[in-house]
Amino acid sequence: MKRSVFLGAAFSAVLSLPAAAQTLNVVTAGDTNMVDYINDYLGPLFEEQNPGVTVRALGTGPGDGGSQALYEKLAAQKDNDVWDVDVGVVHQRMAGQMVTEGLLQSYRDRAATGDLVTTGSAENALGVDVGGYVMPMFQSQIAIAYNPALVPNPPQSYAELVDWAKANPGQFGYNGITGGMAGVGFVFGWMYAFSDMADALRSGPFDAAAAESWGPALASLKEFNSVATITPGNAGTLDAMNRGEIAMGPVWMDMFYTWVADGRLNPDLKLLIPAPGMPGQPMYYVVPEKAAEADLAVKFIELATSPEVQAEGIVRRFNWLPGIDANAVKENLTAEEWSALFTDVSPEVLAERGLAMPQADYFRTILEAYERQVAN
Amino acid sequence: MSTVHAPPSPLRGMLPGLLLIAPALLAIALLYVVPLARSVIFAFVDAEGGLTTAHLRTAIELYGRDLIFTVLVTLGSLALISVISIAIAGYLTLGATPWAVTALRWLYRWPLFIPFIVAGQTARSFLARNGLMNGLLIDSGLMDPALAQSLLDWRGLVLTFAWKQVPFVTLLLAGAMASVDRSTIEAARNMGAGRLRCLLQIVLPQVRGTLLVGLILSLVTILSVLSVPLMVIAGNPTMMTAMMAHRVTYYGDYAVANALGLFSYLITAVAAYVYLRMTLSQHKEGVR
Repeated sequence: MKRSVFLGAAFSAVLSLPAAAQTLNVVTAGDTNMVDYINDYLGPLFEEQNPGVTVRALGTGPGDGGSQALYEKLAAQKDNDVWDVDVGVVHQRMAGQMVTEGLLQSYRDRAATGDLVTTGSAENALGVDVGGYVMPMFQSQIAIAYNPALVPNPPQSYAELVDWAKANPGQFGYNGITGGMAGVGFVFGWMYAFSDMADALRSGPFDAAAAESWGPALASLKEFNSVATITPGNAGTLDAMNRGEIAMGPVWMDMFYTWVADGRLNPDLKLLIPAPGMPGQPMYYVVPEKAAEADLAVKFIELATSPEVQAEGIVRRFNWLPGIDANAVKENLTAEEWSALFTDVSPEVLAERGLAMPQADYFRTILEAYERQVAN
Repeated sequence: MSTVHAPPSPLRGMLPGLLLIAPALLAIALLYVVPLARSVIFAFVDAEGGLTTAHLRTAIELYGRDLIFTVLVTLGSLALISVISIAIAGYLTLGATPWAVTALRWLYRWPLFIPFIVAGQTARSFLARNGLMNGLLIDSGLMDPALAQSLLDWRGLVLTFAWKQVPFVTLLLAGAMASVDRSTIEAARNMGAGRLRCLLQIVLPQVRGTLLVGLILSLVTILSVLSVPLMVIAGNPTMMTAMMAHRVTYYGDYAVANALGLFSYLITAVAAYVYLRMTLSQHKEGVR
């Protein structure tokens, strides 16, 4: 017993050591690339500008599950005086819930770069008012990747896609709703196209009875699934395209460009966003209500949302769309780099067809309706 | 005056023993029994704290197919595992070509050292329609390209689980077969029994218990693996673990995930019961 007490004391002593020299704990949801971004780029940059500060990055896992893990981490220490997370990076849905439950502090006014935030998603996250509490790290968008060698005239809308898939059975592939957000986003786009209530799905108000009117849209999706290939995961769709098993499928644009840049994907593949549009989402920087180093955290986010870092880190290195006002970022990139972002999808199309995710309650209801009526 | 000597309380005699096992008991209670009880309870508690079977009903309604799928895939995997393990262990015991036995002994253990997630990733690129396996078959002229199909469904799962668990079961089985009294085998051989017959009728009945133990432990492992179904299976139905993760990831809904977990507990509880009974009866025989 004594020994375990001693061990515990030793552990906590070791853990608390770096705190004396100011440690900034950055906890990020998302894939490994998010942790890489902090560890390889942003962290060292911030440490260089702030001697004596150590940035410690921790990943909580991909998808909404990662944000859920961060939420649980904060909710669990709600009654403590100080929390062990200084900067959080989360998805939209959890950001809304965390604001509602008072787990975050409003910091945007304190950040020098606060004025550069212009996007609507910084005010409203899936129906929850989050103005002031969040700053977007980047915007990512779901689009349809296609192989022009197999599909010279790709369908330009969901309706055309249905016909195309029928004429080319097995050639459209997506990862259902259990294998990652690209597939989930495709389903949301389907509901925007065929449910007759696209605006309400995105901005509310939530009406639980609305789900009953989705029968035809879901039935046609079930029929569509019978001629589509279901792939295992976001990467599974890209793998299947690489192997020539499918000719079209939904992907995250940044993932697509990164794979092409790494030589992991056939560079001839192209992207399009079918009408009426597909969802995208930002990830947010947030500061927990009782962060130990709140001021340092705001300083870190200032750096992260500065036009220079958004240009170098977000666009150039990771192929994401900038989180702050794009015009401010544009000045820090060459014309070539800027246009590479929009090679396949023009800024106009992106503005028109890059839609928000559904409001949080509809988000859940659509997924459950899919499980009930399409997957079963 | 006479003093009455109270008999020493039985508890006092047990005290040193209890103290000795206390750390282990505490660890089991805190790390295993409490979470288990918690998850069982939370499967039946609604948001207001009342009792409900709603989670259980949702689990059955939405994931009933996945439950059946899980049971079938697990049984399929166990069947394949037993066939291959018996074949390998049998050859290791009865094989007559020394170099082949040595080579097999070397090779069969390798998957033991490969993590499940790596096995899943490998299976995913190996078993796909235009994956490595079909590519090899087509290039060597053994298969018509038009016939190529993806094995990334229940077959992929069964193959991956079998690939991962066969070495484990074989290891146990080969050990047990090696300790079987050689004279029974030689007697059978002298009476003219073939090697296959010898394996099935002489050796196997003597190591049945070990095989069952290996299969039960494999069953528990298979039921708990998340990475393989996530990587190999596309869409539904899939294994229960994947649906539990889905429930937590997309809905933050631990209640239904716990309700699904309940079914896993039930299946493994049956296996655990058989396992305990077997080890106890073996123990008794050993004492006798």
